[in-house]
Amino acid sequence: MQEEKCIHSWKMVNIAYGFVITEKCYQTGKVATYFTFEHKPPLEEYREGDHFWNVMESAQSFRFDLKCTKCGLITTFNELMGLMMCTGCDKTCELDIIREKLASDRTWVYVAFGFLPINERKQLTQEKISILENYFNQRRKSSKSRIKIVSHEMVKNFATCYAEVIKDIDMLCLTAPEGE
Amino acid sequence: MKLQEIIDKLDLKILTNIEDREVEGVFISDMLSDVMTSAKPGDLWLTVQTHTNTVSAVNLIDMAAMVVTQGKVVPQNTIELGNRYHVVILSTPYTTFELATKLVGIGLKAT
Repeated sequence: MQEEKCIHSWKMVNIAYGFVITEKCYQTGKVATYFTFEHKPPLEEYREGDHFWNVMESAQSFRFDLKCTKCGLITTFNELMGLMMCTGCDKTCELDIIREKLASDRTWVYVAFGFLPINERKQLTQEKISILENYFNQRRKSSKSRIKIVSHEMVKNFATCYAEVIKDIDMLCLTAPEGE
Repeated sequence: MKLQEIIDKLDLKILTNIEDREVEGVFISDMLSDVMTSAKPGDLWLTVQTHTNTVSAVNLIDMAAMVVTQGKVVPQNTIELGNRYHVVILSTPYTTFELATKLVGIGLKAT
């Protein structure tokens, strides 16, 4: 007998806070990112084979899994470095074409991106991206809007992309109170 | 309680276009990581953060609105992004604590 397929209802579980570290080797120009649970991000330069890694940036972030509240299935998202909202900076970018197409239905496009270097790290599968998209859409009970999450492969050029990355970094509060 | 009712009762300043909707609860934090893991759709988010990437978090979580407290000036590019993505941004001279107290006073609770 064929098992009945669960229509999953996702909940965020196994949340753990840490930092996403971006480092660069000034010998080779290679940029890499990784997640650490250390309370204070490391700052020291270190050598790894031919590379001399230096910290460029650290952003507070978190890791999580999604668990189906009906069948208990857990999907891990260790490959996910972050999410960013497309703001339509390049009309020739495939991402912007999708954004513009979906905007009239109030469907907002986000990119799920993994760790660097992209070709050396395991990236999110399309199945996991769909699960993540489902999670955010299932929660939008009263809203008229939807979320579309796509792969980083849609971005034409990360270096010139102005998408809004959701991260705790830099001076997030840029202004003083009025009159001061 | 409807968003417009809260705005009227607490005299919140409207910085973007507004769409009235039900406010389910209140969430207070100044960390986006916190918002992403703990805020709920329909929440009213109280924060001092004014960066443009707050808009992407509010939009993704589908919060009812964000209220920038303590009279912080919200940059024009954050307001423009809010308008583009139908994210309601409000502000108030009250501190986060004062506003939270007033929200409890009119019957809102944390979800």
